Amino acid sequence: MRVFTTMVYRELKRFSHSRARVIGSIVNPLIWLIFFGKGWSGVFNNPMAASIFGGVDYMTYLVPGIVAMTVFNMSFMQGITIIWDKQFGFLKEILVAPASRTEAILGRITGGAIMAMMQGIIILALSFALADLKLSGVLPALGMAFLVGIAIAGMGVAIALRMTSMEGFQMIIMMIMLPMTFLSGAFYPINTMPDWMQWLSKVNPLTYAVDGSRYYLAGVTPTFGMTVDWLVLGGLAALLAGIAALEFRKATID
Amino acid sequence: MNAIEVDDLVKRYGDFEAVRGISFRVKRGEIFAFLGPNGAGKTTTVHVLTTLLKPTSGGATVAGHDVVREPDAVRRKIGIVFQDMSLDSELTAYENMLIHGRIYGLGGNELKDKIERLLKFVELWDFRDRQVKTFSGGMQRRLEIARSLLHEPEVLFLDEPTIGLDPQTRAHIWDYIRAMKEEHDMTVFLTTHYMDEAEMLADRIAIMDHGKIIAEGTADELKGLIGNDVIYLRIKAPEELRCLKADFIRGCKLLPDGRVRLDVENAAGALPRLFELASSGGIKILEVTYHRPTLNDVFLHLTGREIREDADEREAMKVKMRTRMRMWGRRR
Repeated sequence: MRVFTTMVYRELKRFSHSRARVIGSIVNPLIWLIFFGKGWSGVFNNPMAASIFGGVDYMTYLVPGIVAMTVFNMSFMQGITIIWDKQFGFLKEILVAPASRTEAILGRITGGAIMAMMQGIIILALSFALADLKLSGVLPALGMAFLVGIAIAGMGVAIALRMTSMEGFQMIIMMIMLPMTFLSGAFYPINTMPDWMQWLSKVNPLTYAVDGSRYYLAGVTPTFGMTVDWLVLGGLAALLAGIAALEFRKATID
Repeated sequence: MNAIEVDDLVKRYGDFEAVRGISFRVKRGEIFAFLGPNGAGKTTTVHVLTTLLKPTSGGATVAGHDVVREPDAVRRKIGIVFQDMSLDSELTAYENMLIHGRIYGLGGNELKDKIERLLKFVELWDFRDRQVKTFSGGMQRRLEIARSLLHEPEVLFLDEPTIGLDPQTRAHIWDYIRAMKEEHDMTVFLTTHYMDEAEMLADRIAIMDHGKIIAEGTADELKGLIGNDVIYLRIKAPEELRCLKADFIRGCKLLPDGRVRLDVENAAGALPRLFELASSGGIKILEVTYHRPTLNDVFLHLTGREIREDADEREAMKVKMRTRMRMWGRRR
């Protein structure tokens, strides 16, 4: 347990030391919320649009999506930056320690997920000024954010451990983060998408977090049902963190 | 008991044999150096001995434990300073120490006291709350040395401990290494491509080239391989100055400045006999100087090449590249 908590501590410390990252991770979702959200709010200010967006105004519809996106971006970055540890040697320090590797990597993933969730909390708190949200939905929505954080940080770690250099870094961000964000239903409902896109949405973990937290925060009827949302998120968190742990146990330095 | 035992160790990457069947012993409490140019297989050997790489064949034990079968037992007993920095540059010096200590199972006041003592030992206590990325190369090295001592390892591995550092900082690091070896009674295994480093620090040296150990012994023994030490004498002889003759003297020449130059196999062995010879012949020795071959001469003698080549220049380049990448990483 000590190795686990130490790695969580490390993630939190690392984050608190880098002011640029803290500010950037708040500003980016705010830009989406305000410029993207306010921009479309006027367009969707009619009864027809309200029925598309589950009976709520567009801003209220968008906030749970942006919160999930924030957690997603943040936890993916937290996970994938293990490539920096690999490149700059800190990974060796862990690999050569008489410590459980599973504990170490799960600690790192959990630390990343906690960081991501805290970003989500900040965005959510600010969003109460912009949209009509339900206070009672905050806790369950954060629970979902945490599970997404674990799943995505685990995915990031698993990908980064397979990367041998940082060359593919930008590419991975483009190829994974953007499509997953657009396919999650954060900005528009998935049931009006073409069939093939709907299919991709359904294999995207983020979709279930958006669906579930939109129910909790905005009261929009969930597409998949809450049981499905929780089970998928919980299952994916366990699966992806497990894959990351297995890969990390095999990790060598070359 | 030996601290490190290596038998016929081979490490292959595809077709490339990085380590080609080396065997050696490191005694408990000694400083043992691997000396050789870049790419000789030194770091690969360190990585096998520290359980980071599995050997292709052959075996090794460190602190009495097999590196393949009992990696965790080995890991508990060793400390390492890697060739490339392995600190967390986003964190402070103190946080780096704290995380290391906790990962090695230390905690509470014991850990706090140790961190304080070690940071003071490497003179970084005043900088403990500064982020490591603001540290100079020498400070980072010192911090890594302090960190490697935190869990009181039996065997300490130092992979090129002073690479890329300026001469003053290097001498400073050497002082730390000597002091901590005295204080903690550890075995130290170090790799280096600096001859002076091996000579200044190591009790015994193995010269490595192309994955093989080509010579092993104390610095003096290694230099003895070349023979032909040169001794310069200023003597006062009862009669006219002439050449000294004995079986251990290979050559003798009277120099224009009045000194006598002797070529001998090994000056360390020859000097006592020379004094005997002189006193029995009634010759008074006023001054003795001798030129010893350097380890570079030894390497040249064994391989036909210089050990240095442009290793330092390449290293400086590598450091520059890394710094640039790190800056890029931080901007993100």
